[in-house]
Amino acid sequence: MAAPNTRLDRDEIVAVRQPLTNTPQRRAMLGKLKRRPSVRNSLIALLVITLIGLCLPFFAQQDPYDLTSFSVMDNRMPPMSESFDGMVFWLGTDGQGRDMLSAILYGMRISLLVGLVSTALALIIGVSVGLVAAVLGGRIEALLMRLVDFVLGFPSILVALVLLAMIGRGVDKVILAIVMVQWANYARIMRSSALSERRKEYVEAAHNLGYSTGRVMFRHVMPNSLSAVLVLATVQIASAITLEATLSFLGVGVPVTEPSLGLLVANGFDYLMSGAYWISFYPGIALLILIFSLNLVGDRLRTALDPKRS
Amino acid sequence: MNYKKTQACAVAALATALGATSLSAQELTIGLSSEPTAVDPHYHDLTPNNQLGMHIYSMLATPDANLMAQPELATSWEAEDDNTWVFKLREDVKFSDGTDFDASDVIFTFCRVMNNESAIGSTGSSVVSNFESVEAPDPHTLRIKTKQVEPIMPEMLAGVPIISDSIVEHDDITFDLPNDCGVTGTWPSIDDFNVGEAAVGTGPFKLEKFSKGAEISLMRNEIYFGTQPDWETVTFVPVPSDGPRLAGLLSGDYDMIESPAARDVAQIEENEAFEYVSTPSNRVIFLQMDIGRGDSPFITTEDGSNPFQDVRVRQAISMAIDRQAIVDRIMDGLARPAYQFIPDEMFGAIPSPAPMEYNPEKAKELLAEAGYPDGFKVTFHATNDRYINDSQIAQAVAQFLTRVGIETELDAMTRSMFFSRRSGREFSFSMGGWASSEGGAASFLRQYAVTTDDARGVGGSNYGDWSDPEFDAFVLEAISTVDETKRSELLQQAEQMAVDKLGFIPLHFESTLWAFRKGVSYDGRADQFTLAYQVERATE
Repeated sequence: MAAPNTRLDRDEIVAVRQPLTNTPQRRAMLGKLKRRPSVRNSLIALLVITLIGLCLPFFAQQDPYDLTSFSVMDNRMPPMSESFDGMVFWLGTDGQGRDMLSAILYGMRISLLVGLVSTALALIIGVSVGLVAAVLGGRIEALLMRLVDFVLGFPSILVALVLLAMIGRGVDKVILAIVMVQWANYARIMRSSALSERRKEYVEAAHNLGYSTGRVMFRHVMPNSLSAVLVLATVQIASAITLEATLSFLGVGVPVTEPSLGLLVANGFDYLMSGAYWISFYPGIALLILIFSLNLVGDRLRTALDPKRS
Repeated sequence: MNYKKTQACAVAALATALGATSLSAQELTIGLSSEPTAVDPHYHDLTPNNQLGMHIYSMLATPDANLMAQPELATSWEAEDDNTWVFKLREDVKFSDGTDFDASDVIFTFCRVMNNESAIGSTGSSVVSNFESVEAPDPHTLRIKTKQVEPIMPEMLAGVPIISDSIVEHDDITFDLPNDCGVTGTWPSIDDFNVGEAAVGTGPFKLEKFSKGAEISLMRNEIYFGTQPDWETVTFVPVPSDGPRLAGLLSGDYDMIESPAARDVAQIEENEAFEYVSTPSNRVIFLQMDIGRGDSPFITTEDGSNPFQDVRVRQAISMAIDRQAIVDRIMDGLARPAYQFIPDEMFGAIPSPAPMEYNPEKAKELLAEAGYPDGFKVTFHATNDRYINDSQIAQAVAQFLTRVGIETELDAMTRSMFFSRRSGREFSFSMGGWASSEGGAASFLRQYAVTTDDARGVGGSNYGDWSDPEFDAFVLEAISTVDETKRSELLQQAEQMAVDKLGFIPLHFESTLWAFRKGVSYDGRADQFTLAYQVERATE
């Protein structure tokens, strides 16, 4: 469950630096994306997952986080069995009597939430730091970039584990931990894009027009250097979700009474030897589909935005 | 924290390394369910630690199956009067480093117990703090004078592993605590034991290596005074997760494992190459509530009060929990519901306690009566790698309580974090376990239930500060009563009072399982210890 390597190399960064406007290139890119059925399928899968996540109460027959809605008397029921009040457990129940299907749907929602929110926050922090470093330069740049090096120097899972051990568990804390380990990636990429952008003539022109540094930074440099970071972000969502699942699997992520996909897999892990495969198998499949779709979309987006590849 | 990851790797490795069985006759590898936290025998009074300690160290006396003290390093003892005990020591014993064992080592051990910066809780000091003086008329005789009457001194000393005075620089060792007992060097620390330097004992094995999180290797102590164990080397591998531990046994990596999950027993039964043994244990799993503080950190009530201070709330909690369901559904039948704190057959137990009824309706009524008609919120803390199915049990408890209106949020954590936070009295509501050993009922009552009194060495684990003078009087009288019949009566009364006032809520008694390959045999122990020197090599 290690996070996939999502750092882009320099060639790719340069390649995707062009801003997206309504140009022939853009049409070509979209065309490239559309032609690939795998992308379409991933997008559909993602859309379905997001939809289910948004209107969960319609799909889940039970609220797995409400301790009163299930009973330990129903625990470890195989798929398709029925509880005494007639509810069918399509995918069985876990060790506490939770309906696995409901738990998976809710778990997916947590995973998506963690992925999106933490990526958005890390993106904001990383982009600001990278931009400030590139535009201001000098000591500030040195300081910020050494900080980035410092953060990137530690394995992310280790940092997240230590952080969570200190601040306790909870969805908000997991998000915080993920942001703490991921922002540096964006800062690094943002700085390099912004650096090359900064030396361009239009930036010089803006400076000569007397615009403030802040305006030049955010209105001119940032929009033009953002595309590489955005591509990285699509891949990072998947890696954030994986990280959350890993942390929960290791028992430091979300609380045990509010299982995410990773925690469901971990819970079922104990029952693998006794034949209750469904407790970790189905959440595992759900996690697989979610991450696979995200990675595929991110990866194809990267290819499509690369003008050097056809 | 990292255990699960390690196990995940271990499982993968096992799958590939199948068949690499080590059937070499003199080696024994045991998969532990819970890792000792230290080799230091006076660090933390915890079953995994005590169990490891019993391999390396010996005590003056050792408890037999009925928990009565039998001679070990002491050959005999007698009480000269109510406050004076005389122990005769064995003369033929050497420590694993070759030095002779004598009274000076015992006195040094007592001193160390009282000079132990790193101890968690009152490990050993609960016994020694009661000593007025300890003298050695000759190198193999000890005369202990106590402050309070201690009728079960030999049983109490069975919990104090003896270490060697050769591990520090010293002059003549005397029981002179204010003057460091004659020790001139620095007192040994927990690390000195863990690296092996100070881990010098008279036990059947000596420490080869203690790598935290990885394995513990022991070598036979060839100069051990007792019967030599069947095994030359013993390796303990901690595998807290049930699945990988069983997989390790089935694939031949371990010769024996502790506590296979009850749900997996069928699989062991089907497999002809393996056997298992199940033994009812003395370990009670119980709930401990913060009763002492009016304002407890993890409770949210409308008026800011602490509901646990009201006995009706505690009764409601007890009634809200379906103990039989926990035993049947989570423990797979391999446990007994607990209606008191020690098994019925132990010394000082209520012979047949009234079952604690499961009645959620009545629980709600009691809550309303106590002024909490809408319940309250509480965070419930538990371990997730210490007791059998602990995090599952804790979730079920949270489920039962939430159903009667006590909104329970569960925070299950790894035991090292749990124990240190609990002894810092950080919790409002937690789940613990206690295996009663010496002294029967007195064991739990004096350690957990009595008002904390460090000077007397009682109540060291009363983390919820439950304090009831009437109850205290019974227990304190009982533990200083020499007459057995009277002591038993007093303890029964104290136990009944503890059950009525519910300063603690008992859940169940664990049954302990061991599984092993054919060719190895183990009888199982009520104290849950896995003792390699009692594992026998069966003829194949």
